[in-house]
Formats: sequence, structure tokens, C-alpha cells
Amino acid sequence: MSYRLGVDIGGTFTDIVLYDDKGWADIAKVPSTPDDPGSAVVEGVVSILKKHGIAHGDIEEIVHGTTVGSNTILQKVGAKTALLTTKGFRDVLEIGRIRTPGMFDLTWEKPVQLVTRRHRFEVTERMSAAGEVVTPLDVEALRDVMARVVDERCEAVAICFLHSYANPAHERQARDWIEAEHPDLLVTASCDVLPEMKEYERSSTTVVNAYLLTQMRRYLTRLEQNLKDNGFSAPLLVVNSAGGMMGVGAAKDRPVFAVGSGPAGGVAGAAKLAGATDLGGLVAFDMGGTTAKASIVLNNQPMLINEYEFREGISSPSRFNKGGGYMLKVPAIDVAEVGAGGGSIAWIDDGGMLQVGPASAGADPGPAAYGMGNDRPTVTDANIFLGLIGDTGLAGGTLSINRVLAEKAIRTHVAEPLGLSVEQAALGIRQIANVNMARAIRSVTVERGLDPREMTMMAFGGGGALHAADLAQLLGMSRIIVPAMSGVFCSVGMLSSDVEHKMVRATQGLAEDWSGEQISEIAEALRTDMLALLATEGFAAHQTQVNFGADLRYHGQSSDLTVDIDLMKIASDGGAALQPIFDAAYEAVYGYRDDAPAELVNLRVTGSGIRERKLDFSSLASLRQTEISNPGDIRKVRFGASQGWQEAMVLDRDTVFERAISGPAILTSYDSTIAVPPGARAHSDGCGSVVIDIASETAEVAA
Amino acid sequence: MNIDPITLAVIKNGLDSIVDEVAYTVLRTARSEIVKDVMDYSAAICDAHGNMIAQAKTIALHLGAVPEAMQAIRAQYGDDIHEGDVIILNDPYQGGMHLPDIFMFTPIFFEGALEGYSVVICHHTDVGGRVPGSNASDSTEIFQEGLRLPVLKLYDRSVLNTAVHTIIERNVRVPDRVLGDLKAQRAACHVGAREMVKLISKYGRADARAYFAELLDYAERMAREDIRGWPDGTYHFTDYIDDDGFSDDPIPIVVAITVQGDQLIVDYEGSSPQVKAALNATKSYTNSCSYLSVRCVLNGDVPNNEGIFRCIDVRAPEASVLNPVMPAPCAARALTGYRVMDAMFGALTQIVPDRVPAAGEGGNTVIAIGGYTPDRKPFIIVDMVCGCWGGRPDKDGVDAITNPSQNLSNTPVETLERQHPIRVEDYSLIPDSCGAGEFRGGLGVRRSYRLLAEEAGLQLRSDRTKFAPYGLHGGQPGRKTVNWLEEPDGTRQDLPGKVTMPLTKGQLVVHEQAGAGGFGDPLSRDPENVLADVMDGKLSVRTAEAQYGVILNDMADSVDLKATSQQRHKMQQDGI
Repeated sequence: MSYRLGVDIGGTFTDIVLYDDKGWADIAKVPSTPDDPGSAVVEGVVSILKKHGIAHGDIEEIVHGTTVGSNTILQKVGAKTALLTTKGFRDVLEIGRIRTPGMFDLTWEKPVQLVTRRHRFEVTERMSAAGEVVTPLDVEALRDVMARVVDERCEAVAICFLHSYANPAHERQARDWIEAEHPDLLVTASCDVLPEMKEYERSSTTVVNAYLLTQMRRYLTRLEQNLKDNGFSAPLLVVNSAGGMMGVGAAKDRPVFAVGSGPAGGVAGAAKLAGATDLGGLVAFDMGGTTAKASIVLNNQPMLINEYEFREGISSPSRFNKGGGYMLKVPAIDVAEVGAGGGSIAWIDDGGMLQVGPASAGADPGPAAYGMGNDRPTVTDANIFLGLIGDTGLAGGTLSINRVLAEKAIRTHVAEPLGLSVEQAALGIRQIANVNMARAIRSVTVERGLDPREMTMMAFGGGGALHAADLAQLLGMSRIIVPAMSGVFCSVGMLSSDVEHKMVRATQGLAEDWSGEQISEIAEALRTDMLALLATEGFAAHQTQVNFGADLRYHGQSSDLTVDIDLMKIASDGGAALQPIFDAAYEAVYGYRDDAPAELVNLRVTGSGIRERKLDFSSLASLRQTEISNPGDIRKVRFGASQGWQEAMVLDRDTVFERAISGPAILTSYDSTIAVPPGARAHSDGCGSVVIDIASETAEVAA
Repeated sequence: MNIDPITLAVIKNGLDSIVDEVAYTVLRTARSEIVKDVMDYSAAICDAHGNMIAQAKTIALHLGAVPEAMQAIRAQYGDDIHEGDVIILNDPYQGGMHLPDIFMFTPIFFEGALEGYSVVICHHTDVGGRVPGSNASDSTEIFQEGLRLPVLKLYDRSVLNTAVHTIIERNVRVPDRVLGDLKAQRAACHVGAREMVKLISKYGRADARAYFAELLDYAERMAREDIRGWPDGTYHFTDYIDDDGFSDDPIPIVVAITVQGDQLIVDYEGSSPQVKAALNATKSYTNSCSYLSVRCVLNGDVPNNEGIFRCIDVRAPEASVLNPVMPAPCAARALTGYRVMDAMFGALTQIVPDRVPAAGEGGNTVIAIGGYTPDRKPFIIVDMVCGCWGGRPDKDGVDAITNPSQNLSNTPVETLERQHPIRVEDYSLIPDSCGAGEFRGGLGVRRSYRLLAEEAGLQLRSDRTKFAPYGLHGGQPGRKTVNWLEEPDGTRQDLPGKVTMPLTKGQLVVHEQAGAGGFGDPLSRDPENVLADVMDGKLSVRTAEAQYGVILNDMADSVDLKATSQQRHKMQQDGI
């Protein structure tokens, strides 16, 4: 028998999923250890294997989603980094794109620079936009600059010269010189991370990569060693921001691709589950303690973006608020996030309006009902008062709950100031949290021209299944899927992914001016590099899949669109064949097509290493998470403002595998609680999920 | 009717969501770079009375002008407004701001009755006139600036007015873009109307109206609550635009803010008469700048609607640069708007000193370079340079950032060089350009352009070459704007703030924008912060000593505390 492990480190708990290739799985949650996140991983892994008597050598693979990258940026504990720039462009990184994320806010600050001005150095050299040398690299100047870098005790060096995407010669020359003369410095050249036009985006991405090198290498090396010391010989894979896997070696060299590693596993899993059950368009909805996230799965693929801003605090669902974070131009799952989670605090503003979040009580001290020092009401307190969460406890009863404290918090801070009953106030808190979360979903659906009413919601994370039915009604959606192990679904999801890498090569000029030979020459070079990279991770050619894409835009535009291309066809028809493909894709996104010629901006390649025994959701059909021990208590529950208190059956989640269940009902398991409102029906699919069909109502305005 | 606070919050978020969707539809369907990339457009929803109840997070300065535009429409059409009508205007003398900004209003009907309007304002690439882009500052009458559209129906009950359509098509340089962007505006207005009908049908007509009214009252209540705490009195401030490019005369912007209980009166009596160049700002734009200045200093997250406007009464003398009469040109009124905001903040700091920053760069610089490439293809570069924020009551200003009244972006150097025969040789912060203060101003930005084509024309519009951005409460002004031309052999020639001239191959145009003012006494600045700026190359050792009285050791990597204390003491004595 062989097993694999999925491991996701969260702010409070480290989630571990153990899976065999026959459809059996088990879950462990252990407290996270922020000082050395890997020690919780090893401890949890060792304990779950001990519980089942599984030998460490029987573990075939360990897949890991890590927040080390994002935390390194948030806590500013990355490498002391120097940046080398073209003369005259020392401040590109700090100037940025000069927008602010909000309006009317005169107190706003730019994000703290990851490389302060004193560590940004100009080097004499210059390329033209066509890639011709205007001024050769002055190696003596580089030597002087590097002496200062060493004096300043920098640990990492990022290099970003103007137009290096068109001709990387100077960057490579500088990189090679530094690596030879200063072998103890970690070096990232922009041409190795992001050979694309736009100097700010490229500088920022390169700097973040260099900044992460020390922490990420230290962490992964320690984790590898720790696992090895405990008798594990299985390869370690890391989830990248786009939901694919990368080998631990690639993660150490290009950590910027794994900044979004944490939440990506869940969306990747949603995509695989969609494929297994033929769901069509999917809204992946992940509600945790502090935030809720929404993303889209179409044609069984997560919706990806090619650039995003990693920021402190909460990203707003509005698409107009750019400028608040660190620009990363790397592929990532397009996630909208709002500050509404179980721990979000309800409060009254100066104008007398009820607000929920973004401040959160988190897990410590947690909701008022925990009695651990927070007396202000949270969304979880509202859910407890309304009976949606029972007082037997969360996380399988490891946290105790006091309903009286929840009631008191709501009464004092919301009901009395607004002249409402506690019940009205609790319903109000829930409703406002729901409306905020609906905005995140709207921003990835309606704002992209997608109609949520034609899509299924997949709900996971600690609170996802408690709010999913309300959100579905708010958005006019009629079906919800709560996947197996939904409370730890990020760990489940990462077990189902393939290894994936992306590479890009900048191109210039109109698509029609490119011959088929020219395009295939670049594409073949990309393919060779990609296969070489996958080979280092143990994938022979027959275990790989390589797909090409092109970034195109209408001549004169500044933002581009990626389309998939059939290389054989383009090689025979030439670049002109890209025009109709682009026109169609553009019209699908923007609602009209232009008559301008298409410009070919980049060629892209995506390479996958196919993992033959990854998690297959159809194998989870017979997975049972708990013994059915609860015959069905009756509890009073208030599901929404339009329904009064209802007598709801409280059942073990696995009951749904025996029979369909009509709401009102509450389904419970170790890792989550599912609300099935009156009129809704729950049944199982073939993949271990609970499917909830909402009684069809007229689509409400998604406020 | 009883207002339920929860429903109020739900409806408020619902409106925010709808208006964002309207704005996003514009972005998705527009044709021009100025809308799609620079995002020079805005969107709002008005109620049945024409009161603005929600606005998208787009160009804030457009929206304070909506009430006047609405008034012009009501004066023109009264009740003659029907489902399917699409009303447009751009005439500064009938509800508009400057000709490139075309306002579009579509009425929202629910079960046969008018319930509100969708509003989308776009800056169009060209509306004809003597200069491409229709945005020159050196026009002298509105007739040179392009096509004037009075309040009119582009669609009457869904039927296109082909005469108007054809007139637009014949009078603009890039009809595909202009007509395409108008289509985008109409598509977006429709989305707003469709979503509003859903929202109204959910709550019912009577309730929806009551809640919309309450949202205005709520914003007004929050604003008045705040203003009531401000000390009654009249507060004066004057700031200046350098000149209009035709004469050397400074253009004063004079403001007096009177606080009367919970009401503000903003009076621009004493400001310059209207000027020959196109710097004249319509009263509606003056209103908008005044509202926005106040909104920026209000506490809390006051909803972005007309409720706030009710607390502010704006007066500007007729035929002044802030309330011009025919045929004054208006295209470059943005610069005047920036100075109105500077003057407003100068007065507001006397009222709420803990909320107002010192002056920033004074508005973005516009640099246009046009000519022909060696193969005789025309090129036009329109580049905007901004900016920095002044020192604030509790922290430094911001280096290199958009003016807070806009939210514009910059053009990447690599993109610019790729598309045009130009080489940018420098885009960086200017050391020592910030106004000294306990909290220093932001550093100004330098950007230079070397012409690679044989010849071209340069049009440069900058300001603050004569009147530096002011400091506050003991803070020093920022450094003034400087422009020069450098020949290939390195010889230099100074350029004025506003200039139109020919360029030849190899010449380098250098623009150094003004730095922002400081806040508070520089001698109170933490010496460690002065040291940090010196180590970052943002301040010179000499400036640290001369302006802050901070003496560093010989290596310039630590503060000589004793020498600093003596120097500061001496400077204080000398100051008295």
C-alpha cells in the first residue's frame, strides 16, 4: 500500500490529510508552530501515521501548501536585498504605478519598500527597446557597486535592467560576474524570473523573489532534513500560486511563484472535483476566520490572472483599487477576498449603521462565546445565537462554546444601541456578513460577465458550508456542493494537482508579421527548457504535457489577453492565424471586437508533470468521515429573517450517504457544520460531497 | 416610514455594487486608452429627483459636477423624459466641465414611473477643435476647443438621433474611438438601469425611495455631525497659478471658508478674473473641487453622495477664473482645480489642523511631443508626470504618487520607448526637493526625454515654477518646478513652466516637478529620520545641517547628538 500526504499550514491549525490510492483518507489538525512552521508538520504527520500504524517509508509523496512566502513579506523578515538598476532608474521600484487604492484618504501610506533606497544601486549600461546595446555594461562600475553591497551586508541581489526582456545580455553578464566574484550572495536576475516588458512590474517581481530566497530556502531545507531524519524519503512538492505543484528545488530558486501557495490548493481541488463530477461553471467559496475568498472554475480550470498585488490587510473586491500592495507578475489563481469571516466583529459606526469586519477576533481570543477575553460580537456569535452552531463545540468539540456570552455580546454592542431585539441583531450581523461576501463573489462573476445563476457554488473552509445557502439565495444560485473534508479542503485539493511550470518569452511586433517558422523556433526552445526542468523533478517525457499560449492585444493597447494556441497549426499557417483566435477571445471577454491588427506580446508555455497516483475524487465515493452515532437531535434554529425559529434535525454528515435529507437540518462533522435551510434538499454525489439544492426562488438582487 | 438599519446597510452595499458594475462595464467595452488605461471616467446613480445616491471609485472630481448637469437637464426637458432616452452634454456653459468630458444620463423607469438616472462621464480622446486631443491650454476662446454639445437626446425613446450622431462623427479626429466610447457609456448606463429596477422591485417603490432618501440624510448627518465640532469663524487662504502662458501675471485663487454651526460657506471672492488661456474652471468644477476638499478631511467612511454637498454652499464671482462666462476657454481647467484644492486645504488647516497635509506638487504636468518618424509616420506622445503629497500632521508626505484628487497612473518607460522615437534617460526622485518639516514633504520627480527623431514639437504644461507648494505650521515650502533643455553637447537652456517649441534630434527635455511642503518645525524632526533620509540619498548632508540642524559624524552614518543639539539651539536663537 502507498500513501500520500497533503499538508496546509494555517494561522491557527496545520491541517494534514492522509490518503491512500484506494479512496481512504483521514484528517489531523495540529496547532501551528509559527516560529518553526515545519515542526508542526512533522509532528502532525508522525502522529497520524502512528495512529494508523503506517510505516514512514510507505509515504510516496508529501504535498505542501505554505504561507512562509506570504508571511515573510507581511512580517518583513526577508533577505536584506540590494537592487541593481540601469543608470537613471534607481527609483522605479519606489515610484511604482503611482495609484492609490482608495479615494479621499489623505492618511494613506505606500507599502514599505522591500529594498530601501540606500540599497538600490545604478550601474552604467543601456539597451534600446529593440534590444540593441546603447551603452555597454561597465564592469568596473559593477565592481564598485558590489563592494558597497557587501559593505552593507546584503544577503541577496536583484538585477533589473531596462529592456532586458528584449536582450538579457547585460543582466546575464552582471549575474554571472556576481556569482563568480561573490559566491555567498543569492542572485536573481529579472530575465530569469519574468522576461516581460514593463520595468516596474518586472522590478517588483524580481525583488520579491530575491527577498524570499533566504527564508524560503531555510524553511524548505529544514523541513526536508527534518522529514529525512524521521525516516521519510518521499519527494516534497510545493503548491504554487496557480494551484499547480513545483518541486522543492524550483520553489527554492523561484519562491515568488509560491507566494499564494496557501489558499491555492483549495481552488485547485475544486477544479479537479468539478472535472470528476462534470459540474460546469463553479464558484469556489472559502470562508475562514478572518476573510472569505471567492474564485472561479470554468471548464474544470481555475481562473488565472497573470499579475496581482500582494498586500497587507484585506483586498477589496472592487476592481478599481490598485496600488496598495507588492506587484507580482506571476500566474496566480484570481481570488477576491473580503474581510468577513467567522471571527469578524460587528460594530456600529458614527452614523448609526451596523458594520461587520474587517476587524476580526481571529481564533485567539476568538468569538465572545469562547469566553477567552473578547466581549464583542462576531459572526460566529450570531450563528451560535441563531442555533446554526450548537453549543457542543467547534473542531470536534475541542473548543467550548457559551451561548450566553454570545447573546450578551450581541445585546450590548448591537441590539441595544440600535433598539433591536437580540434576534433581529443576530440576523442583521449574519445578513451584512453575507452581503459583504456576496460582493466578493460578484466581483469574480458579474464583473467578469459571468452569471452566477448558471453556476454551482462549492463551499469549503471552516464557515463556508454555514453561509453557502444564504449566499446562493442572495445571488440566485440554486446548487451548492460541500466537498468531502470541506474544513480542510485546501490539503485535500493539493493532493489532486499535477506538477506545473510556466515559462514566457517576450516577442515584438504584429502577429501577422511573424512566420510560422519564427514562432515555432521560439516555442521549441521553450519546450526544450521546460522538459529539462521537468526532468530534474523526475518526469520522463511521456509523463509530461506541454501547452502553448500567446499574449496578444490590439495594436496600440497596453493590456493583453492570453489565448491557447495550437502550435502545429500556427507553424503551418503563420502568425496571421492568431488574429481570428484573438478576435474571438477578445469579444468573449469585452463584448466587442476591434478591427485593429493583433500584436504578439509574449509566447507562453505551460508544462505539466503528470502524477499518476494523485487524489481522484471519484475514489472518495465511499469515504466515511465518522461513524454515524447521532440519531438526530432536534434543535431550534433561525435560518433567516424570512423564516421564524424552526425545529431542525441535527445529523452526522455521513447520514447523507444513507438517504436524502430535507431541510431544515444541520449536518455536522469533525471539520465543519453544514446548514440545510427549510425547503432545501441535501443528497450525496459520487465523490463524497454533500449536494444541496435550494428551492428555486426568483433571483434576488445580489446586494 | 420606519427605517430599518439593516435594510439600510444592505441597500447601501447594493448600490455600491451596482455602481461598481456600471463602471466595470465601461472599462470592458470602451475603445480608447484614456478610458481603459488611464481610467479617466466616472459613474454614478441618481435618484428620481436627480440627487446622486452612489458613485463608483473612479475620478472623484467629475462627480461634484453632476448636480449642475442634472439641473441643466431638468431645465431643458422638465417632464419630457421617457424610457429609452439617452441624454448627453459637454458644454461648459450648460452643465458640462470641459468639452472632452461627455456626460451621459439615462432615466431609470420602474412600472412606468421615473425612479432615477444612470450617469457615466467619459473623457473622450478628441472632440475636434484646433488641437488634437481638444485639451490645449493655449486656446483663447471656447470655439477653438471643439464640438459643443448642448443638453440633447442622443436617443429619443430608444431611437438614435442620426443628425447628432453624424455631426459628432464629422467633427472629431478619431470617430471610431469617440462613437465607440459613447456606446460603452450607453451599455454601462443600461446595466445600471437594469440592476436598479431589480433592486427597486425587491423592496417596492415606496420603500426604495424612502431608503434612498435616508442614505442622503445619513451622509448629511455624518458630515454635519463632524462640521458642528469645527470652530465657527471665517478662514482665508490664497494660492497662485504661475501664469496663463500668455502673460507673466500670477493667477490668484482666493478662498474664504465660513463655518456656521454645521454649515460651510466657501467663497472665492477676490480670485482672478477669467483668463485668456484655457485655464478657466466652470462653477460646477469649482463646486466639485470644493466638495472633494471637504470630503477628504471628514472623519469616517461617509458615503460618497449628495448628502455631503448639502452642507457646503459654494460662491464664486461671475466672470472669474472659477466661474467664467462665454466665450472663455476651459480645456485645461484641471490645473485650476488642483490649485482650488490647494487653497481649500490651506484654509481647512486653520479649522482642523490635525487632518490636513501641506501642499503637494500642485497637479500633474502634461508633456506632449509630436512629430514624424524617419519613415514619415506620425507619432504623438502625451505623458503625464505626478506627483507627491505634503507632510501630514502625524507623518511624512508621500514620494512619487498621484494627486489625491485624481487617481491616474503612469506610462512605463519601456512601453513609451517601444512605441515612440524617444529615450527616457531619467525617472527618479529629486534629492533635497522636499519641504523641510517635523514631517517632511514628498520628494519631487524628475523625468527626461531625448528625441530620437529628426524633429518634433514640444508642448509642456507645468506649474509651481514661481509659487512653491506651501508648508504648514512651521514646515518649509517644497522646491519649485524646474524645466530645461539640454543640447547633445551638454549645454543647457532654461525653459519656462508653459512652453510650446520645436525640438531637434538629440535634444533632451528635462522636467523636475516641484517637491511637496513640510509640516511642523524642522527642528523638531527626529534626527534619526533625518539620518535615514541622508543614508537613502533623499537628503544631502548639507541640507540635513542647514534645514534640520542635524549634524552627522564623518561617515554620515550616525547622528552627532551633541553637535546637533548645539546647532539646533543656535538655529532657534537665530530664529528669534
